[in-house]
Amino acid sequence: MNQRKRVMAIASGGGHWVQLRRIMPALDGMDVFYVSLDPSLAADVPGHDYYTIRDVSRRDRFGILVVVAQLMKILFKERPKVVITTGSLPALIAMVLAKYLFGAKTIWIDSIANAEKLSASGKKAGKVADLWLTQWPHLSGPDGPQHWGAVL
Amino acid sequence: MFPFDRLIRVMDEWTAAQGRTDVFAQIGNGTYEPKHMKWTRKLDQLDFAKTVQDSELIVAHAGMGSVIMADQYAKPIVLLPRIQEQGEHTTDHQIATAAWLRGKPGIHVADTDADLPPSIELAFATARDTSGKWASAANPEFLTKIRQYVLDSL
Repeated sequence: MNQRKRVMAIASGGGHWVQLRRIMPALDGMDVFYVSLDPSLAADVPGHDYYTIRDVSRRDRFGILVVVAQLMKILFKERPKVVITTGSLPALIAMVLAKYLFGAKTIWIDSIANAEKLSASGKKAGKVADLWLTQWPHLSGPDGPQHWGAVL
Repeated sequence: MFPFDRLIRVMDEWTAAQGRTDVFAQIGNGTYEPKHMKWTRKLDQLDFAKTVQDSELIVAHAGMGSVIMADQYAKPIVLLPRIQEQGEHTTDHQIATAAWLRGKPGIHVADTDADLPPSIELAFATARDTSGKWASAANPEFLTKIRQYVLDSL
């Protein structure tokens, strides 16, 4: 039996990762592993396991298959109870797999860069995420994401 | 990384016009290769941070990674938003991001290619006021709520 209370924190490179780093203090002392797109980011999360997956866009069907395979391998090994992400598409795929195959609780924080409307992945995340957040008050609503605050 | 040839081309021309030899560009998958700037396709995250730290001024797309990194090292930054119509991104969200960032300490926005050189001049002329600097982490109340949700889910 898996008794570990493992948390998966995942984000694409660039701005998504920078935003994830800004919420890292919320996970202090927890059993967290990180996933992103660039091997050098392991240096940002000393003391934690870190995995690299490839980037993928909506139109890249082969790439999506590769990312699913990479994520399945990680998920079978780590069995996270919670997945938290600041986007984007690879993280959405991770959320779907972790939730429906492993029963993980999922948290989506849409990027602060999406100031006018939710990201495409962020909209889809609403159907999956147990906690669905936007960083912009005006994008929140009763049928939409909640606004709990922002990383800036 | 999406290409952003328009920005790279304008900056290459600016570099030539200024006669500068100290401009460095990260050009991603662009097809335009700079003739007057030193350049690379992609820096890894650590080299990117070091490059920002060693720079006097950053000129970038309106991406939050660059903006937050510039803030972290208290460097002035000039932003040129990517435009969907030009194939520079999948949406026009960078225009909204730039509109929100306009006027924040140390941040300058160029709406068009032609605005870029004067925006750079202004950024050089205006010492970066770091009083409005973002804290190194998200606000504590936001972090506390997220933490509680994660703990309740474990």
